[in-house]
Amino acid sequence: MGARVAGVGLLTGWGEGPGALPDDAVVAAAGRAVLPLGRPPLDSERFRRATRECLLGVAAVNAMLADAGLERDAIRGQGTALLFVTAAAYAASNAEFVAGAASPARTVGGLSEERRGAAGTLHFPYTAPSALSGEVAIEFGLTGAYVILVGGAPAAIDALWQASLLLAQGRCQRALVLVVETFVECEALWRRARWTLPPPLVETAACALLEAGDTAAVYRAVAAGSLPTAAERRAGRTLAAEPLVALALARAAGEPAVRLTGSWRGRTAGIDLAVAGHAARV
Amino acid sequence: MAVLAAGVVTPLGPDLDSFWSGLLGGGDALTPIERFRTDDLRVGRGGEIKKLPAVATGVRSRAAALLVAAAADLRSRARLGAAPERIAVVVGTALGGVEELERALQGDGTPRRALDALYDAPAHVLADWLGARGPVLTVSAACASGATALGVGADLLREGAADLVVAGGYDILCRFVLRGFDVLRSLTRERVRPFDRRRSGLLLGEAAGLVLLARERDVRGPRLGRLLGHGSASDASHVAAPDPDGRGLEAAIHAALAAADVAAADLDFVSAHGTGTPLNDRIEAAVLRRVLGRRAAAIPVNSIKGALGHTMGAAAALEAIMCLLAAREGVIPPTAGFEEPDPACDLDCVPGAPRPASPRLMLSTSLGFGGCNAALVLEGA
Repeated sequence: MGARVAGVGLLTGWGEGPGALPDDAVVAAAGRAVLPLGRPPLDSERFRRATRECLLGVAAVNAMLADAGLERDAIRGQGTALLFVTAAAYAASNAEFVAGAASPARTVGGLSEERRGAAGTLHFPYTAPSALSGEVAIEFGLTGAYVILVGGAPAAIDALWQASLLLAQGRCQRALVLVVETFVECEALWRRARWTLPPPLVETAACALLEAGDTAAVYRAVAAGSLPTAAERRAGRTLAAEPLVALALARAAGEPAVRLTGSWRGRTAGIDLAVAGHAARV
Repeated sequence: MAVLAAGVVTPLGPDLDSFWSGLLGGGDALTPIERFRTDDLRVGRGGEIKKLPAVATGVRSRAAALLVAAAADLRSRARLGAAPERIAVVVGTALGGVEELERALQGDGTPRRALDALYDAPAHVLADWLGARGPVLTVSAACASGATALGVGADLLREGAADLVVAGGYDILCRFVLRGFDVLRSLTRERVRPFDRRRSGLLLGEAAGLVLLARERDVRGPRLGRLLGHGSASDASHVAAPDPDGRGLEAAIHAALAAADVAAADLDFVSAHGTGTPLNDRIEAAVLRRVLGRRAAAIPVNSIKGALGHTMGAAAALEAIMCLLAAREGVIPPTAGFEEPDPACDLDCVPGAPRPASPRLMLSTSLGFGGCNAALVLEGA
């Protein structure tokens, strides 16, 4: 048994969906260092402590459900695995907690006043990367297998592989690979890293739904090459979200299969995946 | 998967031998914290490593230094006999390089500091130190990270993505996390007493624990034991508190048992998460009673957090290593701090002294923020 991608939700600093991506992110950014995503309008009482990143995770799953043509109940329960990946989406909450410790009025790392707002000092558990996936799990009732990876694009490929493995072994019926990357609160920090991560950094929340399929995923834990991918050229620097940007582009183009690669800290990984709705094999 | 060897650095000492003898001693390594100021916090004690081994001197961050120290201990016990590109590193952490992030946010340091601050940086330092050029993964499932890292490492081997995996977990004791738990009022001013009637909270500790994993069929020489199965599950209940019925933990245990093809009735020993907080221990005990059924009272269950503190990302890795040492040495370490049984935690919690036993099949459980639950099923060599 293999796996296939049955839906991809994509929100970026360029807008919603792959259609919002420019042809050349560097040109379109026109010198902007960070392209932000707004705070999704999900400010119910249940989300009173949730960070912007948490809400972006929820919004990405909603976008995936729309793309896959599914109701939210379709993913509820123990049959759905959740694999969350980020390189940096915890930095904002960490910065907020540090700022709260130093002084309630102090701004650290370019933290925005809007973010600090009325909530005051951040609730400590929200500094953990698992807070984001925890909020998503609560919102959609996801109680299946649960993995959280931290890293750049190869970590997302590792998560897609883990998802396909869980499906192949019958440890879940479907798997969500969720990636959120945010930068704006720590823009000063990222500016210092621009020699490694040249702009534009593009905030992204993306979610892929994988289901059991006929074609086994082909995982290359260590792959060759580290050239910029088409997804990076189109979207800009999205770190761990880059493979999901590529998935969204492939699905929008009606490609039956996709070969994904991603590089980070000198490692390149890759995976070949089938995309739902098409009969051809990888 | 075969567990060939282990290496650790803990508040009990700089290596596996001091870790084991410290656990058997039944005392604790929870002392006043000296490395950073705590005078404005309610609680200033924890499992602090007072002196790092010399091998860790000069390593860029304390988090990475702990990993290097544990790896040096591991390498003194086993050879990394595979091509560098076939050696993977999979480590779990709750905090990564958060101390570096704190410094970077305050404008300290070079551009390199910015990337050192990300949670996956210490794993890459470890891989470089080991000369491992295979996949490098960082798991951050809060305090279940170490267990999930061992599980992901086993998956890499099973699928042929690596021939050896250095897997485990780490976390440092720093002001960021101590203040966080202090604000939550999770820390105790008393002794840490897992499953005890008088338990009043946890204390934090810092440590790293690593194991060397290989496919069983590839191993010729001695091994420490086997990782038979792992499972994980989400609570989908609360970001900071465990599910009141422990449904996620129970699901993770059943998933691990199924993956290992082991029946709960066949377990000989359980290493519990056992933080010493009133809520965690009550929920965990109820889950273990349900899973173990009629044998619940007959199976020894211990927690080592009374000795080390809660070492977060390192905890599950250390607990897995403790299980395998218990099987090898024929003795189960006591639950340090456990003296008065709590009817709400009606388990055999190994009080007082090491217990001679010959556990073969063992379960280790972990929970963390974000509704993370993980379980491992292990077998002695």
